[in-house]
Amino acid sequence: MYKIPAQNYPIIQEWIAHGSRVLDLGCGDGSLLKTLASTRQVEGIGVEISHEMILKCISKGLCVYQADIDKDLSEWDDGSFDYVVLNATLQVITRPCRVIEEMLRVGRFAIISISNFGYARNRLRVLAQGRMSSSTRLSGEWHDTPVLRYVSLREFMSSIREIGVEIMDARYFFPFDIMSDTRWPLYNLLAKEGIFRLRRT
Amino acid sequence: MNHTPVLVETQLLSLDRPFRFESGDILPRVDIAYETYGRLNERRDNAVLIEHALSGDAHAAFYHKGDRKPGWWDCMIGPGKAFDTDRYFVICSNVIGGCRGTSGPASIDPATDRPYGLTFPPLSVRDMVEVQRVLLRHLGIDRLTCIAGGSMGGMQALQFFCDYPFQFESFICIASSMKHSAQQIAFNEVGRRAIMADPRWNNGNYYDSAPPEGGLSVARMIGHITYLSEKMMQEKFGRLKKDKESRVVFRPSFEVEHYLDYQGVSFVKRFDANSYLYITNAIDNFDLKTSLSSRDRFRGEGRQRGAHLDSMRGKRGLVISFSSDWLYPPFQSKEIVQLFSAFNVQVSYTEIATEHGHDAFLTDYARPSEIIRGFLSPLS
Repeated sequence: MYKIPAQNYPIIQEWIAHGSRVLDLGCGDGSLLKTLASTRQVEGIGVEISHEMILKCISKGLCVYQADIDKDLSEWDDGSFDYVVLNATLQVITRPCRVIEEMLRVGRFAIISISNFGYARNRLRVLAQGRMSSSTRLSGEWHDTPVLRYVSLREFMSSIREIGVEIMDARYFFPFDIMSDTRWPLYNLLAKEGIFRLRRT
Repeated sequence: MNHTPVLVETQLLSLDRPFRFESGDILPRVDIAYETYGRLNERRDNAVLIEHALSGDAHAAFYHKGDRKPGWWDCMIGPGKAFDTDRYFVICSNVIGGCRGTSGPASIDPATDRPYGLTFPPLSVRDMVEVQRVLLRHLGIDRLTCIAGGSMGGMQALQFFCDYPFQFESFICIASSMKHSAQQIAFNEVGRRAIMADPRWNNGNYYDSAPPEGGLSVARMIGHITYLSEKMMQEKFGRLKKDKESRVVFRPSFEVEHYLDYQGVSFVKRFDANSYLYITNAIDNFDLKTSLSSRDRFRGEGRQRGAHLDSMRGKRGLVISFSSDWLYPPFQSKEIVQLFSAFNVQVSYTEIATEHGHDAFLTDYARPSEIIRGFLSPLS
């Protein structure tokens, strides 16, 4: 159902130290965890809500936990993990700020990728057609899309600052496969996606 | 297609040496009833040990000669099934304290030539495990692919896995708990009281006379209420009545009454009331976490407890719960996951959506089967 942006894998691998304990929220079929297990020798746990995805993870020999990210993170103790990853999943969460706080309670660092609703094409689509594109909605009509949150990079950054979270590293994805680790002028208009490494201030 | 049913027989291992219980009490000899399915490979490491629940027995799969119904977990055990007998050597034995072939309160005490009754030693889940260790040694099996069970079977699986982690590659625990809640103990106590309040029970001495069938069937009826979800019961029976015309007062007339009556009556034909008391008492007293830090009478081999638990690291576990199971609710399964995660076991958790309550572990085999097959496949 969800688009799994494998483009983020190399960046996530770069950020995660060898042998870390990793919690992957919304781990899908477990391909990120599998990659991290083989290249970074991490001890990983995935969290998923879908039965089909759970089955795929278990069949790969991965460790996976069926849970609702919005509700069930409280079951883990403080500092249980080095990294908690939320890759391409933020937009389907009911209470994102609460989840980010929980991520940085159970883990030392959080890695979050988001799709930028402020990106020029999204703005143009709304302006010209008066509707969101199906790719922004991860397919589906307005009433049955899993996407609950439409957030721009700028809004995301100001929200996490308000809850006492700082950005340690960032990557911004622009059209034509251009990636930058600095915030360009007009980034909120030109970047399609961003990925962040976060910690508590 | 007309399948000839595969026939199996329960086998009996009779040990002529004493068995010591966790309580310190000793039985001079024990019988162990067991069945096996599939073939042990040359390396003798493809065994899967299946643990039965409160009313189960060694007959987990396939057919006994002349029977219309197969074993209690036939939907999960067999060629191509969750526990694939083309790949695994599957073993299931009746628990000690039971009444289906393995020694229990109805067995004859050689000292008196009479049934033990209440002179049978107090029973623990660990005793059930230790008896199975004797069986494994007899079968020449030291390392197993998996140990699996539901409900009380899950408790045995967890205890066995924790006490001897080096023997198992993995465990599967379905619809179970690390310890009973007050509510679970309370339901069991009402069942026990029903038996003990039956005058035929006679302090456990009824083997020469009529057994306390009334009390035991009430205990079973209470059990069956807790095995089903409220919704399922409503859908299955509602307020339907069987004999609307009956003028006899207080005769079962609602469908649900007939169902419970049937469950109670058929149970007393195959179950011993004293076994019911002993086994429910054992699972009420089961407390996995505490048992791991308590002194352990069985293994005075100088093995250090901490080092022992360390060998769980990297092993795999699978915990399954059912959404409408209010007897062993999903949160108790999650507690198991948390405990084993702390031991660094690679433990996975899934909650199966179903309306079938606790009974789902015996009836809802489709989803658990695909999960278990997936879980076992990277191990072999």
